[in-house]
This record gives sequence, structure tokens and C-alpha cells, in this order.
Amino acid sequence: MLNASIIKTSEGVMKNKMIHEKLALCGLVLTGLALVPLLSFAAEETKPPAAQPRPAQKQLVLGGPGIEQERSFPKIVSGKWTGPKTADGQPDIQGHWSNTIANHNNFTDPQGGIVNDPNPNRVAKSARADRAPSRVSYPADGQVPFQPWALEKVKEFQAHFNDPVKPEYIEPLARCAPGGVPKSLYWHGYEISQYPGYVVFQFNSGTRIIHLDGKPPLPQNIKLWNGDSRGHWEGNTLVVDVNNHNGKALFGRSGEFISENGRIQERYIFSNDGSRYTYEALLTDPTVYTRPFTVTVPARKWTEKDQPNGWHYEVEPATHSGKNLILDHYERICAENNGGFGLVAEEGKK
Amino acid sequence: MTPLHEGRNYPKNLLPIVGIVMSCLLATQVLAADKKIPRLSNGKPDFSGIWQSTSAADYDLEPHSNRKDAPPSAGSVEGEFLPYLPKALTQRQKNFATRATDDPALKGYTLGVPRGIYYPEPFQIFQRKQDLLLVHQFGHSVRTINTNGTDHPKDPYDWWLGDSRGHWEGDTLVVDVKHFNDKTWFDRAGNYHSDALHVVEKWAFLDPNTIEYKATIEDPNVFSRPWNISVILYRHREKNFQLIEDYRFTLDYDDNYPPKPNKP
Repeated sequence: MLNASIIKTSEGVMKNKMIHEKLALCGLVLTGLALVPLLSFAAEETKPPAAQPRPAQKQLVLGGPGIEQERSFPKIVSGKWTGPKTADGQPDIQGHWSNTIANHNNFTDPQGGIVNDPNPNRVAKSARADRAPSRVSYPADGQVPFQPWALEKVKEFQAHFNDPVKPEYIEPLARCAPGGVPKSLYWHGYEISQYPGYVVFQFNSGTRIIHLDGKPPLPQNIKLWNGDSRGHWEGNTLVVDVNNHNGKALFGRSGEFISENGRIQERYIFSNDGSRYTYEALLTDPTVYTRPFTVTVPARKWTEKDQPNGWHYEVEPATHSGKNLILDHYERICAENNGGFGLVAEEGKK
Repeated sequence: MTPLHEGRNYPKNLLPIVGIVMSCLLATQVLAADKKIPRLSNGKPDFSGIWQSTSAADYDLEPHSNRKDAPPSAGSVEGEFLPYLPKALTQRQKNFATRATDDPALKGYTLGVPRGIYYPEPFQIFQRKQDLLLVHQFGHSVRTINTNGTDHPKDPYDWWLGDSRGHWEGDTLVVDVKHFNDKTWFDRAGNYHSDALHVVEKWAFLDPNTIEYKATIEDPNVFSRPWNISVILYRHREKNFQLIEDYRFTLDYDDNYPPKPNKP
């Protein structure tokens, strides 16, 4: 049974961490006082510096432990692709990827912790300039250009994130809803695989099938968590037009959102050595924003040379007779998506 | 020019027969070309595409008369009925009685194996040399069948879709699936299994657009012996057919999002 297999697991840190996060997610139910400690638990994954008068800045290591891997990142520009190609001529960028700066705690101050976090130990102590820049790369103020009513809603969500007295204050990913666009790109590592006519993203919460096959987009009234993705390659850049959003997936625990009328034009710009990409997306939505704005997310590839990482690179050595290292990635099914109260509550009843 | 057959003494009355034989051979060749199954560059059958069963297996694997929630069917099981152990049969009967509320599929749970294969929604296979990725429209759940020579993990969890390791026997893909949880059913009639479920699947093309899917199922906690099912999977050939996300487990709460302007 599940619990037994968790207990007998001796490989420790990585599996346990994964389980802890899942347990934390599973615990996020609609109502009840039990919510608050569980939410706090879920937030611990950011590992901000402990409360000190003036803490030394935590050293970040690319490929090292922890979620935050760097505070700044190189810009990759669109151009020719000189790296390997798949049989059908796409730049071959298959493998495990993850963002390098932070999880979805905070969209515009990615290393700044959860907005209005009541636990002083988790509030970022460093100066803003010492943390990674906003994911909003344009306009320059790093803020989403919300219309007043929408900004009010975001602030309301932030005020209640730690006190979710209404279902709408529960971040839907906590209920295992698909992360959506763009949040899936900074919620754990993910795997990209390529097939003739397709690029497929396997996230921990949801799967995106990007059509390169020229099939027509879905009818406009079909609304989807991950939208409807139609893409093509321009040199080193995967260009994807995403429509049909259901508008329900928030951009983070900070509550930013797009509506059903929004459009996201994505550019995944890959470095020719295949080690990194920069995600640049233009978000347009006349219902929610005052103007289009740009989102930038840096990502790097994780390979056999890296140590497994319980957040970025959740792989296990596969069982086989050869001497080469083959890595497995186990089932990506968020526990809670299989029940309103998740496996924990269900197991607890027994 | 001299005709090639000049000087040979073919009886004239045989010529029409030769003609018929030749045209038959040609026709067979054309037919064979039509039936040529798709293959990967390594020569293995390529199951890439969008597939779905038209069988009534998901209603009830066993033979049954019509009823309000199921069309009649002669069943999909070799030998007609599942070989339940006595105690397990009682549980199955309980499941049947409460199926309108307890069927895991109604809650949007991941369907499991083999139910996801014959559930009446399409699934798409994305295939590479080293693996097959099955994306089920229902729940958009993803199953990987490894064909890279690896075996089941030594320290497994219990998974909704089990752990799938495949190999080729000629043009048949044979997949060993185990390490399941006990939270899925085989159908909406309450046929069920424990976490000791072990499934061996056999996938083979009948023609380029049709797969014969067979599975041998064993579970010593529930059944007295292994049993077999067989369903046919058809390729979706409708113009521009594509999967559509169906994360239905979110339907119970997704009305709470996105934020909407306050009503004046």
C-alpha cells in the first residue's frame, strides 16, 4: 500500500521531499482551521534564510540542492539552430528541464516569498535588488498592468491566501488542477519530448501537447486549463500561440491571472549548446490588462551529469542489466486529483 | 523489336489465365501495400496515433442484458465471467450496487490499466524507440511504456497506472504492468482488483488502422486464476481529429475561478 511503500523507502531526502509536498497539497481542503498549518508547511519549500538581523546571502548553485538556483541569468536570443535535430527536422531539445530561479510562490518577486506570509522566518530579508528580477520583464516596473478591478481581485487573493475563507482563495494548483500557462514552467521540473508534428511537455500537474501539425485550432468556446497550443520552429525558437484559456490557473500563490479572452504568444529560445532556454511570452487580454506585457522565465536542462533533485529533477536510476545510467521518471499524477480530499484523508480513514 | 516471348510456344488458350493470375498477383501486392503497418525507423511497429475502442467493455466486462446505465453486451472476457474468489465476489456485488456513486471514473480518478484503454474516450500514443507515451483524453493522464530494456523498479510505489515495461515479440508489443494501487475499477459495473494486480498486455496491428489489444490479468487477492480480455482499437481518422483536455476532476470546484468583476 502507499503508506507502507513510503515508510519502507530508505532513499530518504528526495522521495520524502516529494511526498511531503504532495501531502501538503493534499491537505489543502476547502474549509477548516487545519488549513493554516498545512499552508505554512507547503510554503516551507522555498527555504528562505532564517530570521537574523542581517543574514549572509545564501549561495546559489546551478544544479545544486534547493529550488533557487540563480539570481540572474543570461539572455538567449533568437537565431539559427546549429545543434542536433530530430528525424523530422526539429531542433532536438528533448529531456528534463526546470526553471532556475524560484517556484510559484510569488510571480513578480520570485525569490521574495509568499505575499503577506504571517511567518516572519519565511519573509525574505535581502534587498529586492539582491533577488531575481520580476517575471514581468516588460513594462520595466515589473508589474502586471492590471485593470483596477483585476488588481483589486489580486490583492484580495493575496490578503486571503493564508486565510482562505472562500474557495476562490485556494490556489487551484493546491487542488491538483493543472498549473496552466505560464505557471507550469516554474512548478517543479518537467520533461519535453518531441514527435513528428508535436512537442509534448509533461509537467507534474498537467500535460501540454503543442501542435506543429498544422491542424486547425479548437473552436473558441472550448476553454482549457492549458489552453490550445499551436506552434512552429523559427531557427532555435519554438513559437507557440496559446488561446482558449479557461482563465482559472493562477500564475502563482500571488494570484495573478488571465481571463478566457486572453492570448499568450510564447517564444522558447534555446541556446545552441542545448543547455538552456529563455521563455518569453507576450500576454494580451483586453478584459484584465491595460496593455500587453512580457513574461520571462529562464530554464536549464538537467541531465545524467546532475544529481537528482527532489524539485527540479525527480528521477530514479532504472533497473537494467547494462552499466550505463538510465533514468526513470515515475508517474506524474498529483495525488489530490484523484479525490476531493486526497489520498491522505482517504488513507487516514482506514 | 522482337517480342520477348517470340519463339516460345505458349498455348494460346492459356494466355487469358496467365493474365488473370498476373492481375491477381498485382492486386494482392497493392492490397499488401495498403495493409503495410506503420513502422519506426528501427523497424518496430509504430502505434502513434489517436485510438479508441467501440466495445462495451467499460460498461461491464462480463456478459449482461441491457439496463438503464448500460447497453447489452456479450462481454469482453474469454470464458465470459471473471474468476472471483468467493469473498471478492461479495465485494464486487457491493460495488455493483453502489456503482452510481462509487465508480472511481465518476469522481474523475485516473482510470488505470487496462480500463483507460477501452474507456469510451480517445487516447493518443506518442512513440519513440525508447518509449511509448499514452495520453488519455480522460483526465489527460499520462502513462509511459518503457521499451528501453529496463525492468520494474526495485523499490516501487503503488501507482494509478502501474509501472509498464515493454518488449517486442516480433511485431507484438508485450507490456508487463504491475505496482498498482487498489483505487481503480475495471469498469463501471464494479469489477475491481487489489494492489496485487498484474497485467500483461499484447498490442498488435490487425491492419494499419486497427490494433488488437489483449490483456492477461491476475490478482491472487481477488481472482482464483488469471483471465484474458480482448478489445479492438480503431484509429481516429476523422479529418483534423485531436485530443481535447478533459481534466474533469476539476469540475467540482472550477467555478471558483477565475476572478470576475464584482457585480454592481
